[in-house]
Amino acid sequence: MLNRAQTAYLFRESFAGFHRRKLTTGVTILIMASALLVLAILTLITFNMGYMLEKARQGIDMRVFLKTELSDERIAELQPRLIVIPGVKDVTWISPESALAEFRANLGEDAGILDMLDENPLPASYHLTLTAGARDLKSVRALRDEIAAWDEVSEILFNQSWINALEQWTFRFQMASLIAGLIVFIAAVFVISNTVKLTMASSARVIQIQKLVGATNSFIRTPYLAEGMIQGFLAGAVAMGLLAATGWLFGDRLGGIIFFSPAQIAGFILFCVTLGLVGSWSAMRKYLTMQSEI
Amino acid sequence: MTTETKHSDGPLDARTVIGFYHVDLQYKDQKALSNVHFSIDNGEFLCLTGPSGAGKSSILRLIAMDAFPTKGEVMVRGMMSSKMNRRNIPKLRREIGFVFQDFRLLSDRSIEDNIAFAQLVVGVPRVQIIKNVMRVLTQVGLYSKRHRKPHELSGGEQQRVAIARAMVNSPKILLADEPTGNLDPVTAQEIIDLLFRINDAGTCVVFSTHDHQIVKTFGQRVIVVNNGRIESDVKRRGPVDRSANLADNMYGGTKSQNTANSSVAYVRRQETTHA
Repeated sequence: MLNRAQTAYLFRESFAGFHRRKLTTGVTILIMASALLVLAILTLITFNMGYMLEKARQGIDMRVFLKTELSDERIAELQPRLIVIPGVKDVTWISPESALAEFRANLGEDAGILDMLDENPLPASYHLTLTAGARDLKSVRALRDEIAAWDEVSEILFNQSWINALEQWTFRFQMASLIAGLIVFIAAVFVISNTVKLTMASSARVIQIQKLVGATNSFIRTPYLAEGMIQGFLAGAVAMGLLAATGWLFGDRLGGIIFFSPAQIAGFILFCVTLGLVGSWSAMRKYLTMQSEI
Repeated sequence: MTTETKHSDGPLDARTVIGFYHVDLQYKDQKALSNVHFSIDNGEFLCLTGPSGAGKSSILRLIAMDAFPTKGEVMVRGMMSSKMNRRNIPKLRREIGFVFQDFRLLSDRSIEDNIAFAQLVVGVPRVQIIKNVMRVLTQVGLYSKRHRKPHELSGGEQQRVAIARAMVNSPKILLADEPTGNLDPVTAQEIIDLLFRINDAGTCVVFSTHDHQIVKTFGQRVIVVNNGRIESDVKRRGPVDRSANLADNMYGGTKSQNTANSSVAYVRRQETTHA
């Protein structure tokens, strides 16, 4: 275990690098911050796209058309049976009359052709809205199959192509942001790792002497890892600051964009700290296994 | 011809502090040592000599377990090279003090901090560190310069700081790799005197040098290494005269009784070699 003098030393030493190598450290933090800014913007776009897609998904619904010969009582009995099905959020009864009115409204100027009809050809129907978890193609199909088996039902319609398109877009977008995120992530780790290597090259002598007097690898490593983490923290904070400043300057023109929540900002900065740690660790590993060349 | 003088009987001898048992050392493309076999007793002062590249540094590296034998076994303070866990190497290093030709001080810290660092690593409490640093700096006569940076000191002073650092953890073994290589004869003598005093206090000193004058003047026990083999291993009988003057020797000054003594030792080495 470390004693007080050792703890104090490691703490001081973790910050000493910033003092000893002002320029290198400053440049590293800025480069890292730029990489992280790209990552943050990408994440923000993903969030907003996801939000928009989710909004669009709310339009996924289902229309259950009933057979025409059903009595009003049997139609009414269906409502409670529909509402208890998992995935169904809301059930609205649409009478043949209101369906016709809706149809008429949709036709607009051509509504006159409906006057040629002797009677209302439209059947009664139920309009189902779905819960968030059921708004994908698979669930919607399962729901349709279940309800279609009922005697009272003549036909079920839902916007299949719309769901399809939505799902494809969501998938493509997720893949794109994943790949871009991965590239930026690797770049950031590389930048940090490289800087630590530079730092270590300049501290090679110090490390050699530390090994000589019997310092354990973890004792040698700790200040460098801490330095990497502090760099990650600062870079993350700068990136977030820049992003927030941009949002503040152009917010009214961007309109309706959702920004990170405080918890997400904390998570992002934690991620940056981890990034700094990983970068330092990977750089140290090579260095410490080298012989001290006594 | 390899001549070996037996000083102790093997790894079980309680006096043996460093033991080499038929050691081969192979670097990637060249053989550094072959069949090196000797042991050093507690409190001994050993001169390791031979031309550059003969294998002196390799022997020191093996003692520090910075390299491991390709064949054979190295034992240091009861720790065997073949059973050495990498994690225990720092522990071993704490029992060994190192001094080098190029001093190896941290240039951005005061000499006081340089020495304190060796104690910090070992986990000595703060108050104790201050006391110990004061003690060793007084011993090497540099306490008044404790706040200076290494580059503000002369070469000899820097080497004394390095020795103080090596000694602050009270090691049982002091490895000195050409410690006088960068120093003028007068300063070199100061350093050697200091090493003798450390040896008198009970620390085993392994002193590596290619300088024949030093060997002739001060060698108590001399191992000559050449081409990766031990060429001779000679122990001088009787007490070693430590008042010999290296500068006199090198500059052809007054020939004292002391230098005559060392010449005797030199002759005896030759005899053993040819025996």
